[in-house]
Amino acid sequence: MEEDKILQDSPQTAEDAVLEARPHKRHPNKIRESKIDIFLNIVNITCLIIGVLLIIFPLLNYFSLAFNDGNTNLNVVIFPVTPTLAAFKYVLAGDGALDFWRAFGNSVLLTGVVTIGSNLVEAMAAYPLSKRDFPFKGGILMYFIITMLFSAGIVPIRLLMHSFGLIDTIWSVILISISNVTHLLYFKTFFEGIPSDIEEAAKLDGASDLQLFFRIIVPMSLPIIGSCCFFTIVGCWNGYGSALIFIGQSAKGKMAQPLAYYLYLMLQSGALDKSDTWLMANAQNVEAAAMVASIVPILLMYPYVVKYIKGGLQIGSVKG
Amino acid sequence: MEDYVNQTSDSPAVQAAGETASLPADPVLGTETVKPISEEPGYWKSQWKRIKKYRKILFFLIPAAAFTLIFSYIPMFGILFAFKGPEFNLTKGDILYNLTHGSWTFANFGNIFVDDSFWRAVGNTLIINVIRLLICFPLSIIIAVQLSELKNQTLSKVILIILTIPNFLSWAIVIGIWSGILHPDTGVIGQLTGHIMAQDAWFKPLAVFFSAWKGAGWGCILFYSAIVAIDKTYYESATLEGANRLQKMWYLTLPSILPTIALMLVLNISGMMATGFEQIYTMMQINPGDLKNSQIVLDTYIYEISVFTGTDIPFATALGVFNGAIALALMLIGNAITTKTMKRGLW
Repeated sequence: MEEDKILQDSPQTAEDAVLEARPHKRHPNKIRESKIDIFLNIVNITCLIIGVLLIIFPLLNYFSLAFNDGNTNLNVVIFPVTPTLAAFKYVLAGDGALDFWRAFGNSVLLTGVVTIGSNLVEAMAAYPLSKRDFPFKGGILMYFIITMLFSAGIVPIRLLMHSFGLIDTIWSVILISISNVTHLLYFKTFFEGIPSDIEEAAKLDGASDLQLFFRIIVPMSLPIIGSCCFFTIVGCWNGYGSALIFIGQSAKGKMAQPLAYYLYLMLQSGALDKSDTWLMANAQNVEAAAMVASIVPILLMYPYVVKYIKGGLQIGSVKG
Repeated sequence: MEDYVNQTSDSPAVQAAGETASLPADPVLGTETVKPISEEPGYWKSQWKRIKKYRKILFFLIPAAAFTLIFSYIPMFGILFAFKGPEFNLTKGDILYNLTHGSWTFANFGNIFVDDSFWRAVGNTLIINVIRLLICFPLSIIIAVQLSELKNQTLSKVILIILTIPNFLSWAIVIGIWSGILHPDTGVIGQLTGHIMAQDAWFKPLAVFFSAWKGAGWGCILFYSAIVAIDKTYYESATLEGANRLQKMWYLTLPSILPTIALMLVLNISGMMATGFEQIYTMMQINPGDLKNSQIVLDTYIYEISVFTGTDIPFATALGVFNGAIALALMLIGNAITTKTMKRGLW
């Protein structure tokens, strides 16, 4: 507080003259912290460390379960007590491998098709809508936005998928996920910011509209396209709400379950063979191993998250 | 409805008005067709001209429009099921047959209000969401302020990255992790507390805690980036004026991010009818007890009667439509509030 007072005084006082003569002692930019500041800093960092531990501890606990033997689960805190890869072996290469890799394949199919399809379709739609004087722009936007605000509910969409014969197939989840109005709005906002001179120049050079879009607009919009693709990938990989609606427990449905759905069934112990005694003893470890294995693709994308958070944090906002 | 059209884009009327004013400045239109305002053609004529101008990129809209039509608009005709009598039965004929035969009634909507499960679901939904609003929402703001108060901004970004990890895990994994820790026999905490995940009284607190664990870090990114964007000179002058840390937090940081807070608050309240189906349903399903009946929320109730007890299709549809209508009304109210107070729409 003392320093603050000094700073408030006019610089002509004798004290200030002395201070300026000894800048290393009390430089205005290096205000010494008061005791209350130090206290606040300590409280602050303590709270944050508790928060970080609260995140990391359950993760470590679960990870070590995946690497532990079922008989000593009791003693696992943050490290495996009797380290073994048996649970992973069961999930990835043993009796559980067929189910796991089938679910994994379904998830890859789902994520791949939706990520490419949804973002391509929405970016293409956003391009004309980003033109200031596009005809009936307001009406067309309304056509899309209404679907974001209101849906008829589960029964009609289930009956529609039923009439297409897509119930209990992964394609019902894929098709329902393609339409994504939020991303359409993100793309539209971004495209509006691209200077039209660039398009003009490309047109003068003889580029067709398709060429203009794919060779000029898309490369210039890679940041937003990257963000949207990332969120689509995470959403598809982790989501199982639509799968719960469209994919049941029938023989056909079992072939179509995506990975998150398979993990959900595992949580219910619905996916495990109850006659296997080793499996029953290691059910928790097998479950943990399957979940850890399923995180790996998302972990591979984590450098992107880091870059995104370190960078501009561009599309945190609702509107983009 | 008119309001949000103005917010998101130019409505035709605004466009037409804006065009006459800014026509010469438009780089696309300006080079070819600059005309005196008096020769400006009529509305339809000008729309037709623009269609011709943009005819080559019109087809860019077709895939998105088709998907929306098939998977969003065609199901909306299914709302009609909600007005059919109890003899609606898909085993007796296809959808069209059932729609053209049998009686029409409003009774399905009336039945919603005399349905005990419905009121229990509404109560649980509101309780969970209000507690979430009181705990998870401020938590994100507090963490964001805390992170911004750290001297070392690299450290704060590292912490932020760690806090966002759970957001990228599936709900199945989050609940798997915690049911491991809370496992009554082997869990680190569960050994002390017993099987609290199966207890009625613990369901809602745990649901809120899991939401906070998964979402708080991600939720604070928005506020954190808003705080980082505040002009540093404000803080310098506040320091010169003699403000201490807490005063700067209260009188400078919080008011500066107030628009963001208000917007997120309205968004949260608009989503009051949804609890996060995956989370609540998974939490119910992993317990064999009767949590399913006592802790039912709207999302799970609608799901259960729509997918599993598929006999009473008119009632299930009516419930879905009713829920959708409430959600729509909340969104429109929220949008009206933000448009009035913050001059921007929700979307």
